[in-house]
Amino acid sequence: MKLNGKTAEERIIEKHQEALHNGFHTWPSLVFDRPPAMGDARWTSDLILSTWMQAEKGKPPDNGLEYRIGRSGGGFDALAFKYLPREQWIPEQEVIDTSIPLNRRPYDRHISIPIPWYGGGMSYGSVGEPIMLARAKAARQWGTFTSTGEGGYPESLAPFAEHVITQVATGMFGVREETILRAPIIEFKYAQGAKPGLGGHLLGDKSTTAVAKMRESVPWVSLFSPFPFHSVYSVEDHKKHIDWMKTIHPDALMAVKVSTPVDVDMVAMGSYYAGAHIIQIDGGYGGTGAAPEIAKKNIAMPIELAIPKVHRFLLSEGIRDEVVLMASGGIRTADDIAKAIALGADGCILGTSELVALGCTRCSNCERGRGCPFGLTTTDPQLSQLVDSEWGAERLCRFYTSLQWQLRAILRQLGLRSVLELRGRMDVLSYSRRDG
Amino acid sequence: MTMSDSIPFAIDVEQIPAAEAAIAGQTLSPNDSPDRRAPHPSPTIYHRYHLETGTVPDIVPLPPKFRVKVKKHRLIGMVVEELIALKGDIPVALSRPCVYGVFSRPLGGLTPREELCVGCLRCTVQFPDIVQIIPNPVRQRLGDSYVKSDYVETILYEARTGRVPVRGAGYRGAFGGEGWDGLWTDMSEIVRPTRDGIHGREFISTVVDIGEKPAFLRFDEQGEVIGPLPAVISTQVPFLFDTPLDPDRSTPLVPVLSAAARQVETLAMAPIASVIALSLEGLHVVPVIAAETWNLLEQLTWQPRMIVLDGWDREHFDMLRQRFPGCIVCVRVPMDTNVLDLVQQGVRVFHLTADYHGYVGGRFIMDLILQAHQSLVNAGIREEVTLIGGGGIVLAEHVPKAIICGLDAVTLDVALLVALQASFHGECTNRKTASFSFPRMDISWGVKRITNLAASWRDQLLEILGAMGLREVRRLRGELGRSMFQRDLEREVFGEELR
Repeated sequence: MKLNGKTAEERIIEKHQEALHNGFHTWPSLVFDRPPAMGDARWTSDLILSTWMQAEKGKPPDNGLEYRIGRSGGGFDALAFKYLPREQWIPEQEVIDTSIPLNRRPYDRHISIPIPWYGGGMSYGSVGEPIMLARAKAARQWGTFTSTGEGGYPESLAPFAEHVITQVATGMFGVREETILRAPIIEFKYAQGAKPGLGGHLLGDKSTTAVAKMRESVPWVSLFSPFPFHSVYSVEDHKKHIDWMKTIHPDALMAVKVSTPVDVDMVAMGSYYAGAHIIQIDGGYGGTGAAPEIAKKNIAMPIELAIPKVHRFLLSEGIRDEVVLMASGGIRTADDIAKAIALGADGCILGTSELVALGCTRCSNCERGRGCPFGLTTTDPQLSQLVDSEWGAERLCRFYTSLQWQLRAILRQLGLRSVLELRGRMDVLSYSRRDG
Repeated sequence: MTMSDSIPFAIDVEQIPAAEAAIAGQTLSPNDSPDRRAPHPSPTIYHRYHLETGTVPDIVPLPPKFRVKVKKHRLIGMVVEELIALKGDIPVALSRPCVYGVFSRPLGGLTPREELCVGCLRCTVQFPDIVQIIPNPVRQRLGDSYVKSDYVETILYEARTGRVPVRGAGYRGAFGGEGWDGLWTDMSEIVRPTRDGIHGREFISTVVDIGEKPAFLRFDEQGEVIGPLPAVISTQVPFLFDTPLDPDRSTPLVPVLSAAARQVETLAMAPIASVIALSLEGLHVVPVIAAETWNLLEQLTWQPRMIVLDGWDREHFDMLRQRFPGCIVCVRVPMDTNVLDLVQQGVRVFHLTADYHGYVGGRFIMDLILQAHQSLVNAGIREEVTLIGGGGIVLAEHVPKAIICGLDAVTLDVALLVALQASFHGECTNRKTASFSFPRMDISWGVKRITNLAASWRDQLLEILGAMGLREVRRLRGELGRSMFQRDLEREVFGEELR
């Protein structure tokens, strides 16, 4: 029955959307203290609530919420900046440059982004179209990028093509010549930090008719992205892969996403020699829509330990300034971004933190039944409607504003006028591990 | 564990052979030889190792993970207000935020179904003044200080379903940590079997060999091997089942573990007193004998493939070798024992043990395994010796980590208790004094639970091996180059000056 021109389903969605928005606003104010069941060692309730607040207000909280570190006891949470004495800080009125180039080679297209991060791959299927659209809109607004992930390229993203990276992964789901030609950057996904060496897995419940159509598969059947690329068993094969994409789209930059094995430094160097412009290393504590718990915790090293290893090796090989190193897999805050850069990355790639900005509570039920009850990691026709892409884009833009403001504050307190000066400056960090 | 309704384990000894036979899908007669009871199928019949799994519900229901606290008068008030504001739009006013059915009873939030709550928090995000989701303290008290409540949940899930635990979102725990958590396993970006390989066409072997493995054989002029052939047992999985030595505590477990070992094609260690009392025999049964039970040896009327001597005693060791020629005599000693000394005295198979929390003399099992393995490597005899280790191995991930550190195989203990829904009475630490009890159960229920657990752990081992690009678990042993120790990486990356 229609009331005020709306169906019952539309009215129900409207009610819950409003209640959710109200909750995202109310909880960070701490009127009800912290939700007792929210958070974990990596994403504490404080980090989740402060991310919600940043996504609403565009600045970090000032009510006592800890918005910089979690309580994992190591990695980013054990790193701290050694700030200069206040009198040596750069004055507020001076502009601090946060832009980075995405191609450091002397040839090929030159692209730079005004903030040292872009959005990581989240496939259509693992998230719904409104989420992809929200991310693309925010990327355009900020002049940065988001990535399709492996599930295909919905046509609704086409207007944002200049800010959308097309991902090519082992299942080749949705990879077409037109989606390659559209992309300023093409990303090869070799591995994912949360499930290194295990490929991808979209559970049957989430392979809806729309998802199956996009992926050219059968609805409601689990989809595996195999591991590895069956055509790549060497750096030479890897180069051939990149050449293949360059043949289709000579103007595109090539990004390569790998995990963090023992020899991650050698892998990065191999990717450089194969022709990659961007090397993305995805740490073991990264996000996922579904992965075996044993893989998330135990396989491959955390990003904090991988970045310096790769950075130093590329330096020693004399190629550090010809390749862009992007870090992902557990980047939550502006402090994490700054620490990753100080450890040796050029910039970072965000995933989970964007979902948290959109209302994720990190409940880890992405893979269960209809998917995310907040409408994020789901393609369920009803649940997806809980997120409006315009609302989502606004929240992401405000979150970015807050991150950039904090990053500038960190640089100012370190006496640095550009984020480029921070790269590899481990001397501005101290490390003190404690039990999580 | 603090499950209520726990009562001492109750079994019918008469059930045992029949239960084993039923599980194996065959009929046993009293005259069947041990070989007849062997788990291994005929070599002429194609057999690909596979464990059948299925849902085996918990006997004692787990307490809900979350408590759902609803302020009922406020809820009623809100619904009334909504009905007025929405002008009687009942479908909208009564629509509920939970997609998991917590408010699916006719009275919705007034009678929440806590057992369905997964902690997504959508209800409390939407209505913070009406509903609160709280972690259930009863659930959080499961296990003990080492076998934490989330470990218990994981093991119970594995035993209930036989499946690999899979969840959304990234890792939620601490950054590395002490013990096993301070070790990460490697992966290969390009070289490995395909995803199909893990559970499909290509085969990754989890077989390990237990026994004496001399560096070479001697042959006479006719080309015949001089002396007896070395005894070796191949098990389909690199984990064996272990029970407490005290018969009062182990007797309830032995029938279940023995039948499960047969099903899984591995070995079950059991005190000789229980073996005799329950008339157990078979290729999958490994009697454990100690000085205090030595007099029971006479009652062991069949020849096992392997026997464990608990505690080092040269005289007893020699006597066992003489009495059971062709049988592997394994010596069980604490993990910090100097194995080289015993190798020089003829021991080739060790069962190295720590307490149930993985400690010996204040040192954790991981370092002790490395020490034992490395001492044999340095002496150039690692390939001739089998190291089995147990204590503190309570999660699937601990198996490959222990093997990477240098074990050939592990023994499971506390994880088996948890899978069978044991209640811990206090800390379950000391092998001799740890106290626990079981719910009333059928043997077949127990066997299926242990089989599920084994299948899940094996599949998780395949995930680890697959990620590394290894096609057999034997290659994983001592593969330290394919591991990453947190302490080493932090030292390498941050150096001393940063700490």
